[in-house]
Amino acid sequence: MSNNVPLIQLENVIKKYPLAEDEFYQALNSISLEIKEGEFVAIMGPSGSGKSTLMHIMGALDNLSGGKYFFKGKDISSYSEDQLAEIRNKEIGFVFQTFNLLPRTTVLKNVERPMIYAGIPGRQRDKRAYEALKLVGIEDKANNLSNRISGGQIQRVAIARALVMDPSIILADEPTGNLDSKTSHEIMKFIAKLNREGRTIVVITHEKDIASFANRIIRLMDGKVLSDTKGKK
Amino acid sequence: MEYKEIIQSALQALRINILRTSLTMLGIIIGITSVILIYSIGQGAVAFITNELSSFGTDYFQINPGGNQISTFAGSNTLTFEDVEAIRNDSSLTNIKYVVPFAMASETVSANGQEEELLIYGSTHEAVEIFKPELTDGSFITEEQENASERVAVIGTDAAEKFFGEDSSPVGETIRINNRTFRITGVTESTSVLAGGFINNALFIPIGAVTDQILGEKRLQEIDVSVYDQNSINQTLKDVEDLLRDRHGLEEGDENDFQIQSAKDILSTVQTVTGLLTAMIVAISGISLVVGGIGVMNIMLVSVTERTKEIGLLKAIGAKQGDILSQFLIEAVVMTSIGGIIGIILGTIGALVISLIFKIPFIVSAPAIIIAVGVSSLVGIIFGLYPARRAAKLSPIDALRYE
Repeated sequence: MSNNVPLIQLENVIKKYPLAEDEFYQALNSISLEIKEGEFVAIMGPSGSGKSTLMHIMGALDNLSGGKYFFKGKDISSYSEDQLAEIRNKEIGFVFQTFNLLPRTTVLKNVERPMIYAGIPGRQRDKRAYEALKLVGIEDKANNLSNRISGGQIQRVAIARALVMDPSIILADEPTGNLDSKTSHEIMKFIAKLNREGRTIVVITHEKDIASFANRIIRLMDGKVLSDTKGKK
Repeated sequence: MEYKEIIQSALQALRINILRTSLTMLGIIIGITSVILIYSIGQGAVAFITNELSSFGTDYFQINPGGNQISTFAGSNTLTFEDVEAIRNDSSLTNIKYVVPFAMASETVSANGQEEELLIYGSTHEAVEIFKPELTDGSFITEEQENASERVAVIGTDAAEKFFGEDSSPVGETIRINNRTFRITGVTESTSVLAGGFINNALFIPIGAVTDQILGEKRLQEIDVSVYDQNSINQTLKDVEDLLRDRHGLEEGDENDFQIQSAKDILSTVQTVTGLLTAMIVAISGISLVVGGIGVMNIMLVSVTERTKEIGLLKAIGAKQGDILSQFLIEAVVMTSIGGIIGIILGTIGALVISLIFKIPFIVSAPAIIIAVGVSSLVGIIFGLYPARRAAKLSPIDALRYE
């Protein structure tokens, strides 16, 4: 992909949620921004600022009420649900704050899931899932059930699953929200390492020290971009 | 998504709530068990009755006096020995092999110091050609004995045992009926359950002896007519009917004052009735399948709601609507199919036990099993489709946000 084309380009994106008849809650108010390949962006803002909505839009999980969304230069604003599912499957790796893993399913099977939807054959799935788990350093937990591992390990498995399809971008929504500070630090260091290796990363957070790992910080307020600055690192 | 993976994950999802899954399956299990059980017993009963009735042979028809069964039972007197002779002597009735009249009486019989109420068949030497009883000892009534209305009797094996004890040889012994002494010339036995019920507990004596010495009147309860060619039995039956109507002076439009029915007719009537009865009960037990199906739908809807966040996660990592739909649909189908298979096993075992207890043939019908498997899967598809569609249609973001 040419470096001139941004990975994500939002043009005057509006997102409204219906409240009652003729009443709306405007979560995003004409947001325009670009995210280029290799960037490590933190999106910050207080609750209600629209940061989660923005991540859902960027993650092709939600449709727009207005504006345009170009992913790798293609307008995906009017894509069908199944077309968006394919983009989420192949191009985007998600790490959520909670409920990241399928309950009572092994770690390995959890990491394999996106590859099943992509139609990758079994043996190859196994191999790639192990490699991804190795990368996050918990290959020894491959056959553990997802509810038998610690919070930090769950986030690592989620990262492994996000990486396994080799996506263009990793979207992490408060990835350390449920972790103690030591584990949070470890996870963020690992995410930063992934960025140094060339991965594009967007982290949603309301914590400054988490955002400080990023090299660009976008602050939102009332559904608008308040500031867009280079981070400390 | 690969079917192997979907089925594995369906089985896993069902295992997680094993109690709930089992209770939901119970509806299907009960439905399929009762369908298989009743169908199998019905088939067994038809086979049993067919077998029993066929043991008499299907090459004859019977004529009874009276326009209906009530008047036959009440002792209607519309059949005469002249009717028997007329059928025998009609040269146009070439298909007729034997014409055998029966006069019956129920009398107290004494022998060897004991008394028993027995059914007495007065008949001709040709009765043996119709009933085909097995002679375990001695011989059947001969033509000479019949013509002379000799006081001879052929005794059923159970009756013989009552009077003379087990493993006895009563041939040559005497018995008394209405203070008249009869000499036993043979012992008959039928292994058929149905026929054995009356043949093994009866006496066969020359018809003249029954009408003259026991009944005191020339009354016939039955005339059996056997034919050479079974294929034209219906035509022969019709010809005999016409002959009797003519002899009884019946005008066109008058009801018969006798009943005429071939063994084949009786057989097919019994088969039809049993078949209908089976179909009806199978249909009724089919209702429990619908109830079971509603149970499946209910639980699948609960499951979709419970797993809303999981559906959101799966959609986030790339599951398409079809993937979610097939996952939940297959879960429902796997549940009902397993229920169906358990139902087939239980139904078959139940049918086997009942066939052993009631001594009817054990029949497992392959089409019934195939249909049962098909129906249980179909129940899964029909009742699983709505919850599965609901899961598939969930918006990923609503599902992820669900608390």
